[in-house]
Amino acid sequence: MGLIVAGCGPANGPVSAGPPVKTYRYAMDQAPTTLDPVQGSNIYANFVIVNAYDTLFSYKYLARPYELKANLATDFPTISPDGLVYTFRLKKGVRFVDDPCFPGGRGREVVAEDLIYSIKRHFDPRNQPQGAWLWQGRIAGLDEWKLGGSDYDQPVSGLHALDDHTLEIRLIRPYPQLVATLSQGYAALVPREAAEKYGKGIGVHPVGSGPFRLVSYDTSRVVMVRNPNFRQEPVDLKAEGYHPATQAFSGVEAIQGRSPPFVDRLEFNFINEPSASWTSFTKGDEIQLTVLPIEQVDRVLASKRPVTLRPEYASKYHIYAGLEAGFIFSAFNMDFPDFGYSPDPERQRRNKALRCAIIKGYDWEGRNESWYNGLGQIFPGIIVPASPEFDPDLSRASVTRDVAGARRLLTENGWTPENLPSLVYGTTSGTTERLNFEQFRAWMRDIGFPREKVVHKTYATFGDISRAWKRNQLPLVIKGWGLDYPDAENTLQLFYGPNGSPGSNDANWENPEFDRQFEQASVMQPSEERTRLYRQINQLMIDDCVAITGLSRTRIYLWHKNVIAVPDREILGGFWLKYVDVLPRVPTDGAARTAGGA
Amino acid sequence: MEILQFTLRKLIAGLPLILGVTFVSFVLMVYFGPDQTYLLLGKNPTPEQILEVRHQLGYDQPFMQRYLGFLREIVTLDFGVASTGEPVTALLAKTIPVSLALILPGFILGHLVGLLMALAAAYWRGRWPDKLIMSFAVFGMSVSFLIVVIAFQILLSSSDGLDLFPVRGWNMTSLGSYLEYVTVPTLATMFVAIGYDARFYRAVIVEEMTRDHVRTARAFGLPESRIFLRNILKNCLIPIITRVMFSIPQVAIGGALLIESYFGIPGIGKASYEAIVTGDQPVLKAVITLSSLLFVIVVILNDILYRAVDPRVSLK
Repeated sequence: MGLIVAGCGPANGPVSAGPPVKTYRYAMDQAPTTLDPVQGSNIYANFVIVNAYDTLFSYKYLARPYELKANLATDFPTISPDGLVYTFRLKKGVRFVDDPCFPGGRGREVVAEDLIYSIKRHFDPRNQPQGAWLWQGRIAGLDEWKLGGSDYDQPVSGLHALDDHTLEIRLIRPYPQLVATLSQGYAALVPREAAEKYGKGIGVHPVGSGPFRLVSYDTSRVVMVRNPNFRQEPVDLKAEGYHPATQAFSGVEAIQGRSPPFVDRLEFNFINEPSASWTSFTKGDEIQLTVLPIEQVDRVLASKRPVTLRPEYASKYHIYAGLEAGFIFSAFNMDFPDFGYSPDPERQRRNKALRCAIIKGYDWEGRNESWYNGLGQIFPGIIVPASPEFDPDLSRASVTRDVAGARRLLTENGWTPENLPSLVYGTTSGTTERLNFEQFRAWMRDIGFPREKVVHKTYATFGDISRAWKRNQLPLVIKGWGLDYPDAENTLQLFYGPNGSPGSNDANWENPEFDRQFEQASVMQPSEERTRLYRQINQLMIDDCVAITGLSRTRIYLWHKNVIAVPDREILGGFWLKYVDVLPRVPTDGAARTAGGA
Repeated sequence: MEILQFTLRKLIAGLPLILGVTFVSFVLMVYFGPDQTYLLLGKNPTPEQILEVRHQLGYDQPFMQRYLGFLREIVTLDFGVASTGEPVTALLAKTIPVSLALILPGFILGHLVGLLMALAAAYWRGRWPDKLIMSFAVFGMSVSFLIVVIAFQILLSSSDGLDLFPVRGWNMTSLGSYLEYVTVPTLATMFVAIGYDARFYRAVIVEEMTRDHVRTARAFGLPESRIFLRNILKNCLIPIITRVMFSIPQVAIGGALLIESYFGIPGIGKASYEAIVTGDQPVLKAVITLSSLLFVIVVILNDILYRAVDPRVSLK
């Protein structure tokens, strides 16, 4: 009985009685596994982290394509002519939230040393960090600092606080993506006092200077409340990239000139089941946003192109169809001699024809219709539509199904049903994945693969299939990639030779020309010349038939009309949540309950 | 005194069981469980970083060393830190009470109502109340729990249904709010449990009704209600106790994953599931230990209750 009484505590309870509390209830399909910025590797963790902590840079709320802006930094850095020294200035007077980890419990001012400490944490193996790849081999002295035992009292030659509010970063080689990396949850400023006091417990006890502070965190929900000391920075919609023609419907003009955050309480509800999410959303007084479940599309949408709601839903909800900043693709693992590199030049030539035939047999349109309501954007290559370097005029031959062409290619290169190699299609276990496989097998049968030669191999968890990828155990790597920053370098590096397994180049493709041009382009500041180089190496990858690619999915968001927001979940996740405002609800048919503690 | 001696004896006898369960589970966890290494790596890992993570997770230690570490954790009841960064004991202390508060009403009411329905079905055996109750029981057993959960949610909570209760959430700041949040999960749990319970209890009761002592009691002209309570129900208590008691570990530790997921309730079922799929070994080790410990305790309580309802049962 005592245990039950303990379960009656208020930890997960509603807002206590008192003046009306403005609450925004957001919903995501998964819970973060930790809120420690060093492990903020997924969108779910980032949603919370960027609201609890500050980063030097962020993204403009409304600008699409995405544009960086200064956040905790006063402006963009000054960069030395050789591109190796960046000088950042931090805003003064910004304070961490009050917490027992500080003397007297009062949050101290955020200083440049906090960023140095936070970056160092990624190079301390005891933290099981996941963000070191952003800065390893880039910032002078960091790798050596780690080799020296990750002693926080020892300096790093490339990280230097010139004063409390000025930070200098020295690079080993030019790294134009540096500023973008400092907008990520990985680069959130963590006070050393908190990390030392709470140890691993900082994963459930964030102490930051962001717009909200954490109240509770469990497998079902994260609750945050407004940080009362968050700096006053009135919104300038124009500077945020406001586009009235496409965004005025959201009512976002109402936040012009006001200082965020606008809600008192921010809830993240983690709902993995689409039916539960939909029931909660349509109830009216629970979650206020949902991604439209695929099974509700025909019931809710009046049209798909453009995406519009049926009148009964349009009267209650806003809708927005947002293209993901990422893509899905399948890469051939070139280390498998059946498909990739072979010591026999003749076999290698035939293997390329085999890969090209499989690409021709792949039905992107079919996949789009079956799984993404036909709303995804199919594109050739690996520069995604959300990248500024995307080329809309690129030939679509590699994403256009050509069964006759595929069969011809196989025949011309001596491939017969008897000598075709087995094609192992590895996925995590699940009904959707099984259906995906069956669809793929049907396409491969169309081009001549015998049924028994297209094999499904399942893995119990994402960790298990990741292990298979990293250990070079699957001939076809089927995965998705979300952009870490809007720069084609982030997807092109997926095929950069030195990044081979266990690195991010799961294809283990090595093309000296690609690598040379990638190295040349990746250190250049954004320019037409860099874009030209990016597009050139993108074409090299397409020409070598290394991957079946690609499709950027479109997510359809619905949210209640009393919520002023333009939702998004790309790049960094929830950096826009501080701009959300919630108006008193206007009762509508079937949704007449007032807000309560869900 | 006899009970205390029995309890101690049983606890000691239960140690090999706990050791066996933990050993087998640990073998499965180590050799067949999810490898957390690849979930904790960054996007472009090097072989050195893979080794570092494996070292931090303790995966590079010899099996026996890891198992001895597990045993030490069992003795000290300190299972370390979950992958969230939260101490496992704090996680359990937070989630188990929630699961108990969620599941117990359905558990108790399900068994009570199931027993009452079984008594009614047995009393009117072969007549329409029996057929009606058994039809309902078969229906309850046949429908997937998932369908029941979704159907109850839509029927009782959604704006398309009666809209009487919240769809998701958990709030126990007052009895009223507790009832508001626990009602639909309880009804869903009961709906499924009653079917199984009613069928099982009816079979037990019907068998008891055919015994000689019941026939003799009837021949003596005892009232039917007295026969049911004193001659039939009392003698059925052993299988009833067995069924109820052995459900407890599942209720306490397993929680109700589906219920917790669909209703957004932060209980131990969901936490255990997350630990299983992510390979969060500290949490898994604690859950396995608690389950086996609870199982031993239930066995002891079960035997003591046997003795309480039937003095012929010896605790020796």
